[in-house]
Amino acid sequence: MIGRLNRQGWPNLLFALPFLLVYGWLLVYPLLAGMGLSLNRANLFGGARFIGFENYIRLFRDATFLQALGNSLLFVVMCVPVLVVLALGLALALNRATRFAAFMRSAVFASSVLSVTVMTIIWRQILAIDGGLLSHGAHAIGLPALPFLSDPNLALPSLAAVTVWWSLGLPMMLFLSALQQVPRSVFEAAALDRATPWTVFRQITLPAITPALVLVTAYECALQFQVFGQPQLLTQGGPNGASRPLVLYIYETGFNQWDIGYAAAASQMLFALILVAAFVPQLAQRLWRRA
Amino acid sequence: MTAVALPGVRGRQLWAWVRIAFCAVMLALVLAPLLWTVFLSFRTNIDLLRQAPLDLHGPYTLDNYAELLRNQTLFRWFFNSLVVSTATVAGVLTLSSLAGYAFGRLEFPGRNWLYLIVLAGLAIPDQSVILTRHQIFSDLHWHNTYRALILPGLSAPLGVFLMTEAFRAIPRAQDDAARLDRANSLATFWHVLLPQTVPALASLGIYTFLLSWNDYWWPLISATRPAMYTLTEGMAAAQSNYVEVLGKGVLMAEAVVAGLPVLIVYILFQKHIVSAVTGMVKL
Amino acid sequence: MRRRVFLTGLAALSGCARPDPRPTITVQRIFGDCRAHVPKGGAPTQNINGECEIITGLLDRFEAENPDIRLNINTVAWPGYDQLSAQIAADDAPDLVTMHMAVIPDYQIHGLLTPLDAGLKAQGVTPDQFTPVARRAVTMNGEVYGLPFDAWTQLFHINMNLFAKAGLVRGGEPVLPRSAAELLDQARRFRAATSKPYLVQSAVNERAAYARNLYTYLLSAHEVIFPDPHHIRLNTPRAREVVGLFKRIHDERLTTRDLDYVAATTAFINGEGGVYIVGTWMIGNFDNEAAQPGRPLYRGYRVKPYPALFGDPVLPAFVDGHAWVMPKKARTPAQERAAFRLLKFLSVHEGDWTRSGHLTSMAEVVGDPVYQAQPHRRDLMAITSYGQGLPTDVQRQFAIQAMLSEELAAAITGIKPVEKALIDAEHRINDMLTNLS
Repeated sequence: MIGRLNRQGWPNLLFALPFLLVYGWLLVYPLLAGMGLSLNRANLFGGARFIGFENYIRLFRDATFLQALGNSLLFVVMCVPVLVVLALGLALALNRATRFAAFMRSAVFASSVLSVTVMTIIWRQILAIDGGLLSHGAHAIGLPALPFLSDPNLALPSLAAVTVWWSLGLPMMLFLSALQQVPRSVFEAAALDRATPWTVFRQITLPAITPALVLVTAYECALQFQVFGQPQLLTQGGPNGASRPLVLYIYETGFNQWDIGYAAAASQMLFALILVAAFVPQLAQRLWRRA
Repeated sequence: MTAVALPGVRGRQLWAWVRIAFCAVMLALVLAPLLWTVFLSFRTNIDLLRQAPLDLHGPYTLDNYAELLRNQTLFRWFFNSLVVSTATVAGVLTLSSLAGYAFGRLEFPGRNWLYLIVLAGLAIPDQSVILTRHQIFSDLHWHNTYRALILPGLSAPLGVFLMTEAFRAIPRAQDDAARLDRANSLATFWHVLLPQTVPALASLGIYTFLLSWNDYWWPLISATRPAMYTLTEGMAAAQSNYVEVLGKGVLMAEAVVAGLPVLIVYILFQKHIVSAVTGMVKL
Repeated sequence: MRRRVFLTGLAALSGCARPDPRPTITVQRIFGDCRAHVPKGGAPTQNINGECEIITGLLDRFEAENPDIRLNINTVAWPGYDQLSAQIAADDAPDLVTMHMAVIPDYQIHGLLTPLDAGLKAQGVTPDQFTPVARRAVTMNGEVYGLPFDAWTQLFHINMNLFAKAGLVRGGEPVLPRSAAELLDQARRFRAATSKPYLVQSAVNERAAYARNLYTYLLSAHEVIFPDPHHIRLNTPRAREVVGLFKRIHDERLTTRDLDYVAATTAFINGEGGVYIVGTWMIGNFDNEAAQPGRPLYRGYRVKPYPALFGDPVLPAFVDGHAWVMPKKARTPAQERAAFRLLKFLSVHEGDWTRSGHLTSMAEVVGDPVYQAQPHRRDLMAITSYGQGLPTDVQRQFAIQAMLSEELAAAITGIKPVEKALIDAEHRINDMLTNLS
């Protein structure tokens, strides 16, 4: 009996078992339980009652939720392209062995090792209308200071800018590493052909880093849909909900209003959104190739 | 030696200027907020309260830092973060390398199905399971403990994916050789294969450390006693709390003190961190 | 296996080395952390009448006077309820918590709080010692669920130096408006004379102040804000009038704009405006400023109740209070006794606490000459009798306050029309209240 189990390789499963247990217990089960919870009217202190899909119907009639959903999408649209372009630009500019380039790479990456909470303390002192660095700058050149965190048109873009500043390091590093895998001889040959920088970029660089580009875009989309700390600490979602993303909405609904079944339903929407976001770039790449 | 070669002297010069200008602007954008914070942390609270703090002539003070030293909580939070992040890294590396070995190297029934299920987990955001996760730990009465802060981090499937790929990349001939020496699978794993995955382990370790160090929402709802706060969470409490008492200068000093150790570690181990991070794409 | 050993090692590192036989009780409070300038057993080195300084000193004193009890003090950021909810859901609640009286119903309805009557009585504290307002606010189904610690309300904090400049001081008293039109008129005169805004307001990330302004002037008109515990009524002519006034003030730049709470407080201290609408808790801090030569508030700080502006049938004051509550959980009899002894101590020292500027919640103190001799108290004392709160059977009052404030801010800053904001607020709040489980 034991011999047969051994031959089939059952003992080998033991290596994977510790992870599988934790994975099942703390990721798969909570996901399924969350789906179940979303079908209930329940508060933080129990009292769940099955109500079918009522929470989901309620969500799509809830202007605050729809606004948060829109904000999340908008945030990703504002954040990710800028992040990718700037990170790629930096990677192209810093892909060299000078001391300055090394220093600059460190400086850019350094900001992304700061905690989100430290980062928001720093940026409040930049953006605040009273005594913020930018308002000092504006006064110095005779312009009025802008209420970056309290104007409905500026709040979300400000959060996006802050997020770009904070997250630039990792994509830059990934692009650099992709660039370094392109053999130097290819560029040298292009130089001999007197190719323009744009041609070199289009013909050599871009194809070489496309996989990294897709990876970074997908990763950042998924990541930025989960934005929470920045709005929670800098704007509390205001003004008028203009900077309240989905995750902040879930947090407030769950822990502020105790409406945990409803919050669970909103969590499922987040899950669906990220599922889409993570696969769209890959899909786009496939279609692109086929076209 | 330029990476991107150019035609003609004029084109090259133009490109060089664009590059320099871009770098200069980016450098200013990256550094200005950090320097501004350091600058504010050396101003007196009264100064920050009363007047425009743009006067570069001072007065400067170390009072904010002195006050920090009198308030020990920051160091407690720092210790908590260190414990949680280190333990999370240790746990993730252990679980992921074992599972990666199983999925990448061994045969067992249902392997491919299980691996697929693990991969599917890559798309599950932590934020969407956090409510029910909170209930699990509530039922166990485990909140406000280190294990509650550590365990959720161990359920992330990214590490298993990376390690499986790393184990797959090692030539087959090596474990065949080990098998000839009658080594069992554990010994093969430990002596022959694991040492070859060190670069992957390093990447995963550093990534996990940063993720865990910066985690905010889970500690926020799990560690509700200030003595159990992580640094990230504590700094959130500090910025909401200073409203009532601490001056702005102290808050700035806290930001500097909370940010500095990470920066120092980063600068010291920069080479390794960079190669580890870039290693992730190569996997 | 290694991980296991590692974790056990960590647990050993972090755990207490020797057990303490004394009962330990966990006290969770808001009001900030100021340990750095309140030495144990000594006077605060600054701002002696600040909320944080007083409560820190009081709890130190209790520990010193009761060496047989150990206190474990959690200081949490205002208002602390997200955290408390997470703790209670985790069955890991503190023994005593500061709680706004308006929030007590949320927890009481779910049976999460311990009734205090018997325990307090054993310590000689009975409900008839509380003011009627406080007593009503902490009593549910005939039982007391919180020890009242103060009564607070928002007030007009006045920079008399600027008021004098604007000719708004008569006989040493600040001249306050008696109607909305008069307010606008005075505010314009104030701005012309001082080139500063009349009002200082916390407007950014503000989860409370706007809602409290509206409650104040709705209650003073006998408006029924909550027709039943699951519905709010906001879109009324009166509400539109009140919000319209604040919008007008904003539009005419008669108020500061875009300031958050810290910035608004700083602006007032720096003499950047005439009237700061904020709570009783700032009185101690501002008096401290007024005592320091050279500062803009030096010898020029007064504080007054909201003036009646809309022909209000009763004087306007929306009152709430801080209380101490005891979440339900398993306690040893020794811990229970210790917790009640602390409650008794806090009740006895309510007078020390109210030096911060809060109004008293103890009937006896109201008439106490020592209490009344403190600055401003004569101007404010009457509020303890005429101030009104919201019905105690309405749940989620803090979530309501946050939603309402967000909508009102949108109306006042012109992001949406007043009527639409009121309707949206009604909608959001009713959606939450009708879906309570």
